[in-house]
Amino acid sequence: MSDLAKEKAARLLKKRGSVSSLGSHEVRAKDTFGKTKDSISTVSYMEEPGHHDDIPRPTVQMENTYRLTPTRRFPVITVKDILKDVLTSYLQEEKYEPELCRQMTKTISEVVKARVKDLMIARYKFIVIISIGQIRDLNIRMGSRCLWDETHDNFSSHTFKNSSLFAAATVYGVYFE
Amino acid sequence: MDEDQSAEETTFVVDEITTVIKEVVESTIGNSSYQHSKINQWMSNIVESSLNQLTKLGKPFKYIVTCIILQKNGAGLHTASSCFWDNTTDGSCTVRWENKTIYCSVSVFGLAI
Repeated sequence: MSDLAKEKAARLLKKRGSVSSLGSHEVRAKDTFGKTKDSISTVSYMEEPGHHDDIPRPTVQMENTYRLTPTRRFPVITVKDILKDVLTSYLQEEKYEPELCRQMTKTISEVVKARVKDLMIARYKFIVIISIGQIRDLNIRMGSRCLWDETHDNFSSHTFKNSSLFAAATVYGVYFE
Repeated sequence: MDEDQSAEETTFVVDEITTVIKEVVESTIGNSSYQHSKINQWMSNIVESSLNQLTKLGKPFKYIVTCIILQKNGAGLHTASSCFWDNTTDGSCTVRWENKTIYCSVSVFGLAI
């Protein structure tokens, strides 16, 4: 449902290549009745303001660069340092609170995305995933599998823990051929 | 080559992917209760089968499938994702599935080649 809204919003704004999209999914357990409530919020916004086109533009084709491999590979260690840095600075002193953590996940993912973009790695697309949860004597397992090109694409992840919450951050970098 | 046809083949179709993933999760965890010893196997199964089904769709996409399985214990979990990509061709979808004891969330990100 949220994805349709996201796509609609993106189509209305209609700018290719410079649109960022942010999605967050949250699970909250209702204490008294044992029911779970889902809330979904999506935010889409343009990076370049001042564009007044109402007529949808046709997709702009990327020019052929005749380049098969990237000039610069995805810097795994640099990105891991960024993740470490951001997670510790934002979450060092925090306690788990539903409202706070909801905002925190969105903020952290935006911050990480901005910093990775600053690295200016040409022709790479990024996906940043942040999960923050309460430590409450439960087991959680997160796994991922990717179908991509081993030589060019990579990922970097980091986990952070304090007394009341844990956070897992992953950045995937995929080369756009 | 028809432009319309190529446009259809290279956009991320959320509904199709959601259906595929739901089937995979159902067939793997279906009616089971949370069992610590089986978690590893379930996780691998779900992710591998999802990827297999996605490749069978035959679209020119790179996929990233992430899966989170947790016990229902009253604790909360927040997940956010931020993506730097091409909005017209790339997309993501998340399938949340639950039963009495397990909570499972599978996200698929598709990036056009």
